[in-house]
Amino acid sequence: MSEPSQTPRPILEMRHISKRFDATQALDDVSLALYPGEVHALIGENGAGKSTLIKIMTGVHQPDSGVILLDGAPVRIHNSQEAQTLGIAAIYQEPMVFPDLNVAENIFISHHNRGAFVHWGKLYRDAEAILAQLDVRLDVRMPARGLTLAAQQAVEIARAISLNVRVLIMDEPTASLSAHEVNQLFRIIESLRSKGVAILFIGHRMEEVFRVADRITVLRDGRVISSRLRAAPEELDAQRELMIREMVGREVSEFFAKSAVPRGKLLMSVHNLGKEGVFSGVTFDIYEGEVLGFAGLIGARRTDVGLALFGIEPADQGEILFEGRPVQIKSPDHALKLGIAYVTEDRRGLGLTLPMSIASNITLPSLRRYLSALGLVRRKEEQRTAESYRERLMIRTPSVNLEVAKLSGGNQQKVMLSKWLNTQPRLLILDEPTRGIDVRAKAEVHHIIGDLAAQGLGIILISSDLPEVLAMSDRVLVMREGRQMGVFSREEATQERIIMAAMGQEISSNGQVQSTLTTQVVEP
Amino acid sequence: MRHRAAFLQRWEGLLLVLLVVTVVYNALNAPGYMTLGNWINLFQLSIEKIIVALIMTFIIINAEIDLSVASVMGFSACTAGFLYANGTPMEWAVAVALLTGVAAGLFNSFWIGVVGLPSLVVTLSGLIGYRGLAYVLVEDRSIGGFPQWFNRLGQQPLIGPFPLALVIFFVLLVFAIIILQYSGFGRYVYVIGNNKEVARYSGVHVRRTKMILFVTSSTIAALAGILYAARLGAVRGDIATGFELDIITMVLLGGVSIYGGSGTMWGVLLSVLIILNLRNGMGLANLSGHVQTGVIGALLILSVLAPNVAGQVQSFWNRRRAQRMETGNA
Repeated sequence: MSEPSQTPRPILEMRHISKRFDATQALDDVSLALYPGEVHALIGENGAGKSTLIKIMTGVHQPDSGVILLDGAPVRIHNSQEAQTLGIAAIYQEPMVFPDLNVAENIFISHHNRGAFVHWGKLYRDAEAILAQLDVRLDVRMPARGLTLAAQQAVEIARAISLNVRVLIMDEPTASLSAHEVNQLFRIIESLRSKGVAILFIGHRMEEVFRVADRITVLRDGRVISSRLRAAPEELDAQRELMIREMVGREVSEFFAKSAVPRGKLLMSVHNLGKEGVFSGVTFDIYEGEVLGFAGLIGARRTDVGLALFGIEPADQGEILFEGRPVQIKSPDHALKLGIAYVTEDRRGLGLTLPMSIASNITLPSLRRYLSALGLVRRKEEQRTAESYRERLMIRTPSVNLEVAKLSGGNQQKVMLSKWLNTQPRLLILDEPTRGIDVRAKAEVHHIIGDLAAQGLGIILISSDLPEVLAMSDRVLVMREGRQMGVFSREEATQERIIMAAMGQEISSNGQVQSTLTTQVVEP
Repeated sequence: MRHRAAFLQRWEGLLLVLLVVTVVYNALNAPGYMTLGNWINLFQLSIEKIIVALIMTFIIINAEIDLSVASVMGFSACTAGFLYANGTPMEWAVAVALLTGVAAGLFNSFWIGVVGLPSLVVTLSGLIGYRGLAYVLVEDRSIGGFPQWFNRLGQQPLIGPFPLALVIFFVLLVFAIIILQYSGFGRYVYVIGNNKEVARYSGVHVRRTKMILFVTSSTIAALAGILYAARLGAVRGDIATGFELDIITMVLLGGVSIYGGSGTMWGVLLSVLIILNLRNGMGLANLSGHVQTGVIGALLILSVLAPNVAGQVQSFWNRRRAQRMETGNA
């Protein structure tokens, strides 16, 4: 890093950027400066606004207000092509390479004006030169298909360098890498830094963030909470703990809290559930009337556990006891017969048939109950059911025959809930049930969840909204990268505890943050 | 389904207008046009395609396609002819020919439903393969001389003035309307066609539904092939060649989306009536068959454009209205 006294001019500066999507204020007056040769880390919970910020930097979204300065001059970035021309590039968790092209072709894929013919010799020489700058050894004639994820990332970075990148955005680049590969990546970051590239590093692993970053900014609910230079090594732990608190410090009071329901019978026991290469060692009990929260960050594989329990992507390890009987859930049909329902997080893609009516969406999984002896749909009964849910869940619509696409997100969410409640489940798996819906609908959904638990349903609540998980859950299971990090009782569960478990940190009994980056098996 | 239905109604309304115009034109220019005999004749000339169009409607709404239907028709007709020429009684020959349809359907649906290959590819191979089998059976011969009763079924009235094929069509039409528009199975067909992942996540048996449709499709195609053989009184290897495209045209012109999920049996019925009358009318106006085909093609493009154009016009007006309101407030 350059000396702090003579502050150089930032390459890219975001000033007072705001962006709103429907009901959510994704970014609220965010200012951020990226300096040459500085690694700037951006941390925050899911939904803090990190992705939106990146998308504005790369021209995918336009800010509602605020300006972007490049070398001190205001610019407008209309699309990613323009961002590229300005020297702004981004790489993501999953590298984007063309598997059938070789390394050199992948590096120069964005170079168009090179004439009609490819000068292969020059192409390979140039590719080797760029990789050498990064200290990466790769056969440039090798097809990208065979490369490891880390090598693919190196190719992507080389591609950015070939375009004279000045600002490189790295969105969770380490999420799929092994520890060794992370070291390789950090060496590359080091050489980029020495070349004067400004790097924006988004990460969920605190250990790595505090290893690589010169400056760390905390984003929460679309606002910049703090921005600090990395502390001296002896103060690093304290700084890290402080910034984690800043990430999560939201008031819980804005949420409806689930009232205590007496715990009923044991509904389901899951022991060491796993799926090869996806998740493993998931163990929990769930009782009637209980809400079991599933907390974790993106990539924690919580949804995959839900899909396994619903038979969409069946598990291949471990045991499930449902009401005392061992079961193997192989299909959604089977899960429904047992009384398990799964409400997806992807309402539009997987949850609802948007061009069809509210009524026909609600009865879809339970349609067999609405068929006459001849297999015809009993429309009147269908209408009655739809009307009853419209009333019970307060779905705001002029008619249950309206197509679902016309409803607001919150009302669509209620239709989806109705659809699954109508299967009369014993166990309801809710995956992000309040994502992308407005505050009022959110509160209503929370009330519905509370009511259902009071009626004796077991509920698994997968949610990335930490205050929501805390307010609604009797117990909280925390996952991280496909592994169960622990189950916390309502009393034990605090925002700090959960976020630290989700990030692979643990607070020991004396309150000190410990890193558990290498091994984090909580299993007894 | 309201707004899409409104567009469809618009298209179906357009079809209805077109139908009335052609019928009036035909009636004014051809004496005896509005007689039952003439209408039966009109239907009878394309009845095999119309029958297959019923099941094709299900398949396209399901977001699939069956290109093999015409070849299955040919294969089944040739199987019947081949067996009869080799001494099998015609009744048995017909029964076996129907079974070849079931077998072809099982074969198609194995690759589509169990293995999960795209139906376009599987049924394209079917289009080639079943036609090949038809040629293997009859080579370049023409097999005829079927029993009297068989030819009569294809050519003479059976119930009142209606020949067998038309009776079968009416019966299947009633079933098709009830099943597609009113039954649980029909609901699944629409949902899968709209978004098969939503269907799968709702516990719907997506593969099973698709397999039932493809077996039914080939079976009905085989039946249509036999009816065609009876009407012609002879079979050849190239019987019914190219029919699949006419059949798909009938379905799409009726407002069924090629992407699946929308369209109705009523629309397809309208489109069938239009194609029959339009061709007839154009014949009366001394337009050649080639021109007729061109007109049908243009109509088909229109059928795909119409809902989009209507949607764009509407959103344009909505924007205009919103702008005007904004400026009005300011």
